[in-house]
Amino acid sequence: MDLYGGTISALEKGLNFSSDKSKAISQNVANVDTPNYQVKTVDFKNYLQEAKTAHLEAHRTDRRHLPFSPTTFGSSTHNYSSFRFNQNGNGVDMDKEQADLAANQIYYNALADRISSKFNSLNNVIKGGR
Amino acid sequence: MSIFHSLNSSASALTAQRLRMDVISSNMANIDTTRGKLVDGEWKPYQRKSVSFQPKQGQFSSFLNVAIGNRDRGAIGNGVSVSRIQEDNETPFKQVFDPTHPDANEEGYVEMPNVDPLRETIDMMSATRSYEANITVLNSNKAMLMKALEIGK
Repeated sequence: MDLYGGTISALEKGLNFSSDKSKAISQNVANVDTPNYQVKTVDFKNYLQEAKTAHLEAHRTDRRHLPFSPTTFGSSTHNYSSFRFNQNGNGVDMDKEQADLAANQIYYNALADRISSKFNSLNNVIKGGR
Repeated sequence: MSIFHSLNSSASALTAQRLRMDVISSNMANIDTTRGKLVDGEWKPYQRKSVSFQPKQGQFSSFLNVAIGNRDRGAIGNGVSVSRIQEDNETPFKQVFDPTHPDANEEGYVEMPNVDPLRETIDMMSATRSYEANITVLNSNKAMLMKALEIGK
């Protein structure tokens, strides 16, 4: 029996990605004046790959136990080592970071809205529509 | 890696930029200071100070990733920290002809600090803009955390 139909875990992966990305943006903006700093990005492709290949499940001794997949936290961070935006070797493009920040926030809000409404509909079903 | 990780990164940058502003203030305040340091019984003018930054890397996972060869897969990091405040020994002192000055030498010249107000102003504007950018990121992350609290309501 799969009550959640995979939706919640998919949304959770999206939220994890968005949260990691906000950390990377914070780090980049914080280091906007650091010489020789390399820009860090979180790769969506890797997250997608992990989501696709998440057949790997923990061994369950009982069928009724809750399933869980292994957490692969913080594994898809990349440095752009060849890119230089500034004379002092700094690679932070402030306009790009600000645009990414706005996009990431909207994305996070959208996912949070979806997961909230999923819980709401479950709640509705549990209460029998009352 | 905690829930407030990104807020801490932004906060460290705010601290660093504020320190940079403090140093710029000190430079501007001491623009006419002729007795900055006593070297061998002789007064030297104030030397321009500058701040240098470095990324804060204190996490175990980042060291582990480097140790096992995943150099391009290091962890995100912990913000920024001030590595040192250094004195500018490159720029020469300004020579001003003023024989009545108590610190004038035999020829009547006074050594003035190597502070350039134009440069300091530009540095100050840069620090202000960086500070504002970090405030924006901080507010955005705060909004995301508040949104996360609404899940399930």
